[in-house]
Amino acid sequence: MEQVINGKMTKKLLQKTLKYYLFFSVIVMLLAAPLFYFISQFLYIDDADEELLILKKEFVTFSTPELNQTDIAVWNKWNRDLKIEKNNVQINKDTLFYQSYYNHLSKENEPYRVLNAPIAIQGKPYVFTAKINLVEKEDLIISIVLLFAFLVFILLTGLFIITKKISEKLWRPFYDTLQRIEEFEIDKNLNTKFDPCLIEEFNRLNHSINNLIERNILIYKSQREFIENAAHELQTPTAIFKGKLENILQRDDLNIEQFKLIDDLNNTTSRLVKLNKNLLILSKIESNSYTVNEKVNLKNIIENQLSFFKEQALSKKISITTELSDKIVVNSNHILAEMLISNLFLNTINHNQLNGQIFVKLTNHSITFANTGTLLPLQTEKMFERFSKSNPTSQGNGLGLSIIKKIVDTNHWNINYHYTNRMHTFEIVL
Amino acid sequence: MKILIIEDEIEIATNIKNYLSSNDLICESANSLKTAIEKIDLYSYDCILLDLMLTDGDGFKVLELLKKQNKTEGVIIISAKDTLETKIEGLTLGADDYLTKPFHLSELLVRIQALVRRKQFNGNNVISFNEIEIDTTSKTVKIKGNKIEFTKKEMDLLLFLIGNKYKVLSKSAIAEHLSGDMADMLDNHDFVYAHIKNMKKKLKEMGAADYLKSVYGTGYKWEDD
Repeated sequence: MEQVINGKMTKKLLQKTLKYYLFFSVIVMLLAAPLFYFISQFLYIDDADEELLILKKEFVTFSTPELNQTDIAVWNKWNRDLKIEKNNVQINKDTLFYQSYYNHLSKENEPYRVLNAPIAIQGKPYVFTAKINLVEKEDLIISIVLLFAFLVFILLTGLFIITKKISEKLWRPFYDTLQRIEEFEIDKNLNTKFDPCLIEEFNRLNHSINNLIERNILIYKSQREFIENAAHELQTPTAIFKGKLENILQRDDLNIEQFKLIDDLNNTTSRLVKLNKNLLILSKIESNSYTVNEKVNLKNIIENQLSFFKEQALSKKISITTELSDKIVVNSNHILAEMLISNLFLNTINHNQLNGQIFVKLTNHSITFANTGTLLPLQTEKMFERFSKSNPTSQGNGLGLSIIKKIVDTNHWNINYHYTNRMHTFEIVL
Repeated sequence: MKILIIEDEIEIATNIKNYLSSNDLICESANSLKTAIEKIDLYSYDCILLDLMLTDGDGFKVLELLKKQNKTEGVIIISAKDTLETKIEGLTLGADDYLTKPFHLSELLVRIQALVRRKQFNGNNVISFNEIEIDTTSKTVKIKGNKIEFTKKEMDLLLFLIGNKYKVLSKSAIAEHLSGDMADMLDNHDFVYAHIKNMKKKLKEMGAADYLKSVYGTGYKWEDD
């Protein structure tokens, strides 16, 4: 069902919402994880620096006054992380930096935060060095970041699933409505009442669609009734007209021109009557006047009509070939089935050529009427429309194929047209 | 023969009257249910032509009345309604035939003749025109006493032509009569030629005079000159 609009594939509403959620989640994850890592790291280093400075302050406050220069070697021997060295590099302020030291126990380089601070012992300048191992804290940070990432992931997945579920539930009335509209056909009296739901907007939508459908059905009905009434009312004036023509024909004082004129009028009246009848038939099919379905033997119907149409075909020297399977019984209204076959026959004769051919085939699953003809292949999309004539000079009224299509639709059959081997072929799939 | 035309459309009644009157039929017309009932009470007719939609009521009431009074008039419904239901209802209520408007007057005439034959002679009737004799029961045609082999269509055609004797018939009227229910499916009336040609040939072979005249090339008239 996917379509392409402006070069983009249309997607389902839910897919589209979820796509944006997913996109946002990934961005948050990608940004949040490193940010959290750097902030934690910064906080920890800050903490370590503070600790080192406190160590130095404690040392300067409590240890320096009692420390002799001779004690420095001993001090250094018993302190691993605190050292006192000669100020060879002329350090004159506190310096904090990273440095790696080789750990003999774990046999690897480990990161340390180091403080070099100038101090004076007995008036001599010395450098106080304090260091803090960062390994444990680093592990902690990584664990925290991982945990955090995991939490974010769980949160987003949960959100995603909940949104999906809720959206599906929220949008269900919308999809119900959509399905109803898709199934709606104006000429079928289906129930178009929508179930009320708890969402105001959808109720409004359903209400508006209901109004729209009701209005359309009303217009359609009045239009259909108008056609039916118009066709019906036309019968009386045509009857009067026809009767008058027949009476004029009886006059003794008619000359040949007058007689020919009346004869032409007679033929035109016949066309008018036929047109009117066809309009009435179409209206009646649409208003479901032919609803009684029965078992219909198609072979019998075709054979019953064959002699009549063979006679009709004779004037154009058209030959009719049939290939009819026995016992093809279908469910249809009998009158409609007869009308279908007679209109198919008429169509194949009307649009045929001199010395043409008609081929009729009936099988288990299809009725096929094929005929030769002077016309080029027909335009399939327009051919079933009312009054669409492929041959403007034809005496037909352009309703035959509409009637055929209506009957096929009413019986839930399908009709296909194709032009092969110079034969116009109509196939009705039962 | 007396005919009652029950029809509220005066123009249609006049058309029918004009066409039928010249064929030794006497026509009266009633343009409302009220006058129709009065006339049926007072007189008896050979055939009643009945329109269903009358200004002051349903034409079916006439059928009910005839049944109640045990009258035997033949009734032909002439109506613009052509649903199967209306036809069945009319025929079950006692109508003998049903003709949908618009129809050919020539068709109406032969239907009246057939109905009267059925009613009055129980169908045992021989129609004759000079040396031609048609027995409608045994469906045989004889010329000067000799049987002639006619197809069903040719016999039908002959009955139609003799029934409308001295009338000019258009090819379309003949075609529609011969086609019966399929008349609406006619696209071309040329097939009438073939039937007329065959019928004329058979009649001529048996020594009948040529009564069927062509009128200006497109019409026909059965007459004895």
